[in-house]
Amino acid sequence: MILNIIYWATQRKWLLISLFLATVLYLLPTPQGLTAAGYHTIIIVLSTILLIIFEPIPLPAVAMLILVFQVLFGIATPNQVASSFMSDAVFFIMGSLMLAVAIVSQDLDTRLALGIINITGHKTWRIIAGFVAVCALLSSFIGEHTVTAMMMPVGLTLVRHTSRDPKKVAGLTSLILFSIAYGSAMGSIGTPSGGGRNVIMIGYLSQFGMGNLTYLDWMKYAYPILLIEIPLAIMILWWTFRPEKMILDSAVRKLKVQVARSGQITGSQITAMGVFVLVFLGWVFLSPKIGLGIVALMGVVLYLAMGLVEWQDLNRNTNWGVIMLFGSAISIGIQMKDTGAALWVANNVIEGLQVITSNVDFSRSFVSIFLTAGLTNILSNAATVAVLGPIVLNMGGNAVMVALSTALASAFAYLTVVASPTCMIIHSSGLVKPSDYLRAGWKMTVMSITVLLLFIHLFWPLMG
Amino acid sequence: MKFLLAVSSQEFSESTLRMGSKVAKSFGAQLAVVYVGPKPKELYAGRVSLARDTLAKWEIYHPGIEVLRWAFDDLKTSGFLENSDDNGFNPLNMVEEKDRYRMALPGSYGQDIDLILREGDIIDELRRECSEDEYTVSIIGGSKGRNMAHDLLQYLPTSVLVMKNVNLDHHYRILLCVDDSSATDRAVRFGATIAKQMNFPVTIMTVSKTEEFGPGYSGAAEAASQHLESQQVDHEQKFITGDPVNSFIETAGEDHLIVMGSSSKSALAKFFLGSKPMKTLEKANCPILVVRDK
Repeated sequence: MILNIIYWATQRKWLLISLFLATVLYLLPTPQGLTAAGYHTIIIVLSTILLIIFEPIPLPAVAMLILVFQVLFGIATPNQVASSFMSDAVFFIMGSLMLAVAIVSQDLDTRLALGIINITGHKTWRIIAGFVAVCALLSSFIGEHTVTAMMMPVGLTLVRHTSRDPKKVAGLTSLILFSIAYGSAMGSIGTPSGGGRNVIMIGYLSQFGMGNLTYLDWMKYAYPILLIEIPLAIMILWWTFRPEKMILDSAVRKLKVQVARSGQITGSQITAMGVFVLVFLGWVFLSPKIGLGIVALMGVVLYLAMGLVEWQDLNRNTNWGVIMLFGSAISIGIQMKDTGAALWVANNVIEGLQVITSNVDFSRSFVSIFLTAGLTNILSNAATVAVLGPIVLNMGGNAVMVALSTALASAFAYLTVVASPTCMIIHSSGLVKPSDYLRAGWKMTVMSITVLLLFIHLFWPLMG
Repeated sequence: MKFLLAVSSQEFSESTLRMGSKVAKSFGAQLAVVYVGPKPKELYAGRVSLARDTLAKWEIYHPGIEVLRWAFDDLKTSGFLENSDDNGFNPLNMVEEKDRYRMALPGSYGQDIDLILREGDIIDELRRECSEDEYTVSIIGGSKGRNMAHDLLQYLPTSVLVMKNVNLDHHYRILLCVDDSSATDRAVRFGATIAKQMNFPVTIMTVSKTEEFGPGYSGAAEAASQHLESQQVDHEQKFITGDPVNSFIETAGEDHLIVMGSSSKSALAKFFLGSKPMKTLEKANCPILVVRDK
């Protein structure tokens, strides 16, 4: 009995620490300039961050805890909590997780493999360039994890056809896997549908009445950044991970033979691609009126109605806990704004940064770019936007630009395994080490931040 | 009798698997080989599993399955398993069971071993595994983790064999540490079985902090000697005055397999103060078996 209690306490120590922290903060007097409700909201956010990072309890439990605390601390009524829990951004996250399953289950990976190889030929550097470019361009529309899931088998099959002994192709393996992961992560900035966090930010903007960003507007600002980053990322990866072979002719030949076995493209594959084109057109033309999430759900309905995917498959591979978590995170984000907590934190941060500089523009960029890029590597990219979004939007300046730069910086999740789904997916292959992320990641981070700063200060002002 | 053997990779688990399977064989025990790998963050688990499903279509499997494949082949090569023509190992036969994956193996393979894949914290997963089946001994490779010794002995409900610094070419002696604790009896029987089957000579060692050896100590040493005698195991006896843990470590060096009983202290006392087996396990530079009372 005692042993079980000791064990439970050691396993759940981060739950105990976060509850302890919350209790201590609760007992302290409310800081000046902050309402009780605002202070309690901040307490919930801080303890939730610990629970998301260390996962001492299942995520759905964290999600429900956020909702329960909002009511218990008197921040909002049950019905207010319930209505802030569901939003178009949550619909989008739910829809995009399901679209991923629907697309991945079409076995389009073999088509993709053939397409890339036919264009790139058998030189290693060309194949790597092809991987980064294709991953980045595709993920900007269909989401980073969908592309990583489809490209991983292609990349690893090439590696396996090169040598059966992983030690002999360690450099090539890292090069290919990071081309896929970083290419996809980079691509996710291109359009709102590249990642759930982009939609969370758009949701905050419109919910707080601070502005609107359409699908095409987003592309206009973000896509050029993506296009410039592609060649730079290829060079960084090539210089960081040296492949053992400069030509993969026999591996490419074997891959072609393997892919040829899957036969001609099928009718359902063509239909599946057609449905996605419709979804894309919906995002571009309909979403300003009906929302990005609703369009994603329409796509899911189409896939189901046309029998292109089974509900059982969707249900099995959709992580409902994640959907609940983002529902709760956005809900508490809205309370951050409504209780004035976000404004209070924003003012204090800007005031605190005056020790370094009195330039408010610099302070704003520091939080929206550097702090976001740092936190994204610890907390995950989407959760970072959910937490920091309301704060950066309250720091003044052009809200749309601040929203964009924060959402874009959250994609600079290159340094750790836990930074993004793509980083975690390539790590699950057991073939890359956490230190590999640092080796290539810091260069990618410096490059991405530099390009983003150039755009914010030079090009975006010209675009109006 | 069933033993649990944890593997992480061919590089780090080869000696653990070889020597561990020999020990299991000397008891005539079944063996469950369990791979415990890192668990994807829950936030991404669904997306990782989607990627894994796609990889499996291309016959690229979970890294743990490749480790289990190596373990299975190695057990056939070393003679633990009968080497029949039927390969027996098929990744498609991994069956999801509650919180683990287990491979359905054909014929006699299925009776001799289990191949299990788990993801998560090593201690937590071994504990869960122990609640699935009646294991007598858990075998694990030596780890430099600071709290590993404590956690293994505190939280696993089985006896624990830690394969520290194993040299497969070495002919080990057994250092049988004997005192008045209730688990000593079983430790002596376990030590004798291994010594007899693997042809290891035994040193029975009793250490007292004072010059005097109480009746509990001398009685246990005498009983141990008699048992080894009856099993016709080559042995010698040592009575030493000094600090028990240091004496065990010094005598054992790198060429002994230490066998000792677990501590009878309460869980709370062990948590705050540690115990003799915990300290020995932490400091030892050779394989060590800590035997539980039951």
